[in-house]
Amino acid sequence: MGGADQRGANQVDAIEIRDLRKVFNKRRSIRDLILHPRTKPEPVVALDGISFDVHQGEIFGLLGPNGAGKTTLLKVLSCLVSQTSGSARVQGNDITNAEHRVKSSVGLVTSDERSFYWRLTGRENLHFFAALYNVPRAEIRRRCQGLLEKVELLKHADQLFMEYSTGTKQRLAIARALLHDPPVLFMDEPTRSLDPSAAKHLREFVVTTLNRKEGKTILLATHNLPEAESLCSRLAILHLARVRRLGAMEEVRSWGDTGERYVIDVAGIAPARLLSSGEDRFVFPGCRFEIKAPEDGSAPDRSILNADLETGGAALTELLRRLIAGGGTIVSCSRREASLQEVFDLVAAEGGGSAPGAQTAR
Amino acid sequence: MRVFSFLLKAWAFIRRDFLIETSYRSAFILQFTGTFVSVAIFFFLSGMIRGIAPNMKGVEGGEYFPFILVGIAFYHYLTVALTSFASRVRNEQLTGTLEAMLVTPTRTPTLILASSLWDFVFTSFRVVLYLVIGVGFSRLAGRPFVIHGGGIIPSMIIFGLTILAFCGIGIIVASAVIYLKKGESINSFVISASALLGGVFYPTETMPAWLGSLSSFLPITYALRGIRRALLSGATFGELIPEVRVLCLFVAFLVPLGLIVFRWALRGARRDGTLVQY
Repeated sequence: MGGADQRGANQVDAIEIRDLRKVFNKRRSIRDLILHPRTKPEPVVALDGISFDVHQGEIFGLLGPNGAGKTTLLKVLSCLVSQTSGSARVQGNDITNAEHRVKSSVGLVTSDERSFYWRLTGRENLHFFAALYNVPRAEIRRRCQGLLEKVELLKHADQLFMEYSTGTKQRLAIARALLHDPPVLFMDEPTRSLDPSAAKHLREFVVTTLNRKEGKTILLATHNLPEAESLCSRLAILHLARVRRLGAMEEVRSWGDTGERYVIDVAGIAPARLLSSGEDRFVFPGCRFEIKAPEDGSAPDRSILNADLETGGAALTELLRRLIAGGGTIVSCSRREASLQEVFDLVAAEGGGSAPGAQTAR
Repeated sequence: MRVFSFLLKAWAFIRRDFLIETSYRSAFILQFTGTFVSVAIFFFLSGMIRGIAPNMKGVEGGEYFPFILVGIAFYHYLTVALTSFASRVRNEQLTGTLEAMLVTPTRTPTLILASSLWDFVFTSFRVVLYLVIGVGFSRLAGRPFVIHGGGIIPSMIIFGLTILAFCGIGIIVASAVIYLKKGESINSFVISASALLGGVFYPTETMPAWLGSLSSFLPITYALRGIRRALLSGATFGELIPEVRVLCLFVAFLVPLGLIVFRWALRGARRDGTLVQY
């Protein structure tokens, strides 16, 4: 997991977002404009009171389903879209009145393959963007060569971009974002189109080289939960334009807990039997569980229970007692944390409201 | 320092576009072939009306071929000034590279200006080629025409002013592309109006008076008249003051208007989140 938190006592946070709000006006058809010229366009809230900080040198995850507002937030922070109200600072620079300095301190990595010139080579693309990032002329060649080496693209440097594989294109996108050596990187679903092996390789590069070695602060927008779990030290879950959960990974996971969770491996009772008699014999108030067969399917009379208990102790004892009385043998019983997926599902299920016990996002 | 930074970026854009254009080898070569063919067409056409042209009012130098040659060559330039900004913005929107450029610390006006430079450079080559092929044709046919060396500097001043005036309109059209995603129709209208009324193919004096009066609202009318008078009739700068004065007025009106509209469009597109949409 990343997150070399290098925040000093007097050091500003890499990103400070305060009550950021973005409202778009829904596009109207020409027919609508002619028939109802005085009607105001319908507002669409894309970001609603977003507030959080990203510390220097950490990998911060921005999670949320499609349409949650992740990309809009990155675009506002990159000065591509202006906010309706609220403020944000990147490396202490206000996005509204210090656009040039904000852009100089940020590198944006997207998964959009179309953002390069396909009929130029990787090296030619980098040379072009280096000029736009104000890299001194004398240094462009050396800087691009160094970056191509860093992202392991030297072999493909003089190949046309259109001949690149998706993984190679993504590595070039990272190289481009590093041209001006920015302290902050915005990554918008960087592994979206990569195969598992390329995605793993990229994640390792992000954590080991960019974060730990070079101390880059990374704001990672993703809906890939395992990726967020493996990379991020802290995260915010966005849903319907608002931050629903915010904090360290463990804190966010704990908000998924409405009680205690146990995984119980039972031999001697087949899943079908547990299911057919579940309501009468094994379930009692304050206890609910999911049943499945072991993944290898080797033992037909064996069941895996994912049990949610309002409290442990007596309830767990009662559940185990019932399983044993029903002819089962307890092979193992262990307590487990809520997965990020479960928290994510909970957030999605909440819809517009806040979950009980949820921390109010700053 | 700023000028040096701009030049560095301008060079990067020119290099980028040169590499892309020359990667389409056949198309690149065919464009030059097209220039040769169109000069040939106008040469033979002018031979057909050879006896009439000297009696026509407004045909500087009395020959139709140099008249049309200068008209077409500079009309190309003006078309570029008008369309390049908008077409480059549109192209970057469509190919998806606009966002990658806009997140860099390079200012948006610099990006728009620098991205259209290749079109001006390439058109310069074409204009020179036009004139060289034209002179070659006329010499081969034994009908050489004279370009007055003294008229080159005044014609360049007029040319510069005209480019600025057209850039003003071009920036307004680019603003329409940024905000509305469409703007080509404005370009088509101005280009057609300029061709019809501006005296590209025939002197404005040949048009009916009511139609000819409309040509006075177009900068190209004064530009072509001034350039032809300078290059083909050897008019001095003092004699070209009326054209220069009107072109200065066009520049003073169109350039600030273009910049204001551009700033407004950029702000609107950022507010609506449509800056990189197409």
